[in-house]
Amino acid sequence: MSKATLILLVFIIFAALTAVASAAGKRPPDAWNYYHFDGSAFKSGPAVDESPFVAVREKLRPVVLTTSAANIEQTLLPDGDGVIAGICYIQSSGGKLGSDSGFKPYPRVPLLISSGGKQLVTVQTDDQGYFVVVLPSGKYSIGSGPFTADITVERGITTLVPLRAGKRMVD
Amino acid sequence: MSVCLARFVFATIILFQFSSTVFAGALDDYYLQQFGETKNIQLQKTILSVAPEAQESAKCGMPLKHGLRRDWKLLEQTTQKVLAKRLALPALTGEKIFTSVGKHFSVHYATTGTDAPPLADLDNNGVPDWVESVAATFEDVYTYYGTQGYQLAPTLPAGAPYDIYLLDLAPQGFYGTTTNNQPASSASYPNAETSWMELDNNFTDSIYKPNIYAPLQSLQITAAHEYHHAIQYGYNVFFDIWYAEATSTWMEDELYDLIDQNYTYIPAWFNNSKTPLDLAVGSNAVTTGAGYGRWIFNRYLAEKHTPAMIRGVWEKVGGLPSPDGSSDIPMIPVLESLLSAAGTSLSADFFGFTKRVYTMDWSTHTSETDKIHPYSPVATYLVYPVNSSVTSPAPPSVTLPHYSFAYYKFTPTPEMPALTITLSKSTGIQTTVFRKSSGGITEIIANAGGNSYTDATFSSADEVVLLIANTSNTDGANANFSTDGKLTTPGTTPPPPASSSSGSSSGCFIATAAYGSYLHPQVQLLRHFRDEYLQTNAPGRAFVAFYYRFSPPLADFIARHTVLRSLTRLALTPVVVAVVHPLISALALLLLIGAVLASRLHRIKAVRLNAHPYVISTTSYRL
Repeated sequence: MSKATLILLVFIIFAALTAVASAAGKRPPDAWNYYHFDGSAFKSGPAVDESPFVAVREKLRPVVLTTSAANIEQTLLPDGDGVIAGICYIQSSGGKLGSDSGFKPYPRVPLLISSGGKQLVTVQTDDQGYFVVVLPSGKYSIGSGPFTADITVERGITTLVPLRAGKRMVD
Repeated sequence: MSVCLARFVFATIILFQFSSTVFAGALDDYYLQQFGETKNIQLQKTILSVAPEAQESAKCGMPLKHGLRRDWKLLEQTTQKVLAKRLALPALTGEKIFTSVGKHFSVHYATTGTDAPPLADLDNNGVPDWVESVAATFEDVYTYYGTQGYQLAPTLPAGAPYDIYLLDLAPQGFYGTTTNNQPASSASYPNAETSWMELDNNFTDSIYKPNIYAPLQSLQITAAHEYHHAIQYGYNVFFDIWYAEATSTWMEDELYDLIDQNYTYIPAWFNNSKTPLDLAVGSNAVTTGAGYGRWIFNRYLAEKHTPAMIRGVWEKVGGLPSPDGSSDIPMIPVLESLLSAAGTSLSADFFGFTKRVYTMDWSTHTSETDKIHPYSPVATYLVYPVNSSVTSPAPPSVTLPHYSFAYYKFTPTPEMPALTITLSKSTGIQTTVFRKSSGGITEIIANAGGNSYTDATFSSADEVVLLIANTSNTDGANANFSTDGKLTTPGTTPPPPASSSSGSSSGCFIATAAYGSYLHPQVQLLRHFRDEYLQTNAPGRAFVAFYYRFSPPLADFIARHTVLRSLTRLALTPVVVAVVHPLISALALLLLIGAVLASRLHRIKAVRLNAHPYVISTTSYRL
């Protein structure tokens, strides 16, 4: 076997192994991905307790769930649209006697969404503080005043946003 | 007849309930819609004005709830009933509001139920005495903070009383809470917000330890604490929580000097002194001392400078933007900047503070010095020498996060007339040694070179302590130490002899940085190689001296970069292999050199055999 053949063989094996490893590391594209909010950010996987979490899948509207056993209704996103989903919460931290470190969902609150300084739409959080809004791809601001997040919406993609609405100092 | 009448009255009441909802005014419609209660009344209301979403002006945050609270009395009773659960503000049973004498506070209280405060009214003025005490206490707190130059908590409209709600917070385990409400920005403080407060309704439950702290005392320290949070929101809603708690807790003793409850939070910090100053106030703040326990650092700053220094910190925070528009402002850089402007540094002041943890020479509140928890050593050594082979009670090595510290205690023994402690340390570490005896506490001056300390009268001391502090904002600063001496505990296996001054306790800085621990097997291997093979001859010692002179800054740089640490570990691998397998490594090196030489000879021969050097050169490279 010539050196060139040997090098080629090694390269092919390396490429094949890399491709297999990469494929194994990815979740199948036709599966729902779950994300839960841990008090500061969205983390992969459903919540360990009964608290809500978000099921996300490319080109589909995300769904807020409380159990991963639920049948998820598949709603295709309009072509060219993406999604902002997330939770509006009040950071709750501290405690002299015990602990209240965590967050309080901010239910039933309208969130203002704007783009280029123009107010576009409001979306209201649900009883658990979660919200989902479908928007054409582009750059948006969500929230107002000091607590505002700038989000880029991509086509077919769901962007998860933990939107802090305030602080509660607990002592 | 009477039955018919009763049914008629009942039906009338029901009809009235429904109709009052149906005919709620425009303001009712607005709030019902904003809070998502329209579904409940759509069946009852055939006409419902639903404005396009884009025209709505309510925003995320507290404004909607604030508006609802403001307009509460204008709403229909049924609308209030529907929306009560949507309010973040407490809904109190039979709520009454008492405005303090100075008109700065509105105290909301329930007149029945578990949230009701003690309702005794000895002066028969129609207001429970406890509610009056709450109002009067907050007026005192308000006056104090005003005289200290703080910008008092903003309210909207400006000058309106600040809202305080009395609730039974004992089941939740809270003294009180303060929550931001809505923007109150000004030119000086663009991120200012208003806030509101909840307080326990009586402070008599056992969790408040009423047998130690009278209810009025718990009220006083909670008022001092929570109202400072309200002030903090008024400077910048993006404040760093640990320093907010450290300031509010410090203020408790500034306002109410005789209660001293805040001293109980100090042990949690001193017992976990290897945690950073700005440790996040998380789920275990009570046991780690995060935030609350750090208040004693503010006392040091106030003594070293003035109490106005702390106010200056908050005023500086007030003018700063959030780092990314939505997250809190890290406090360490703010303190560094402010202290630097004051002609000192956070590094110097933190080191001064850690010294005072041991010396206890506080200059204010001196009658309470004995309430400050004493220093808490990481380890107490009884057997000497202490060197790298010692693992109990703790290895003589410590890696510290930013702005943290560790004390080590050395107990005198008659066999040890003198004690010398030798250190090696990375950038960011400052050290000192204290000697305590009947004559008091003395700080031992470092020997020439600054890396060792000698107590010539060790055997007559009560104790000698070594302070190691990371006084930088960089994590992973490392220090190792060793002592002289001989075995003093009978029956214990003698530890190996201590080596020379740069000997076995000294760190191999770059390797330690690369492998992440002084105790990593590869680091120990390299250290052993240094002591056995380099320190035993003149050229080796020269190399070690050179290495120790230039490696610490490099090691510090490597330690802060994960990629560099990996690359350094990779680069060190041949060195480690050579140390472990010297013969095999030498043989492999010879084979490699031979192969290279043979290749070069072959190439030279090929060039000489061909007429056109460029073509041949290209061909040979392809091979």
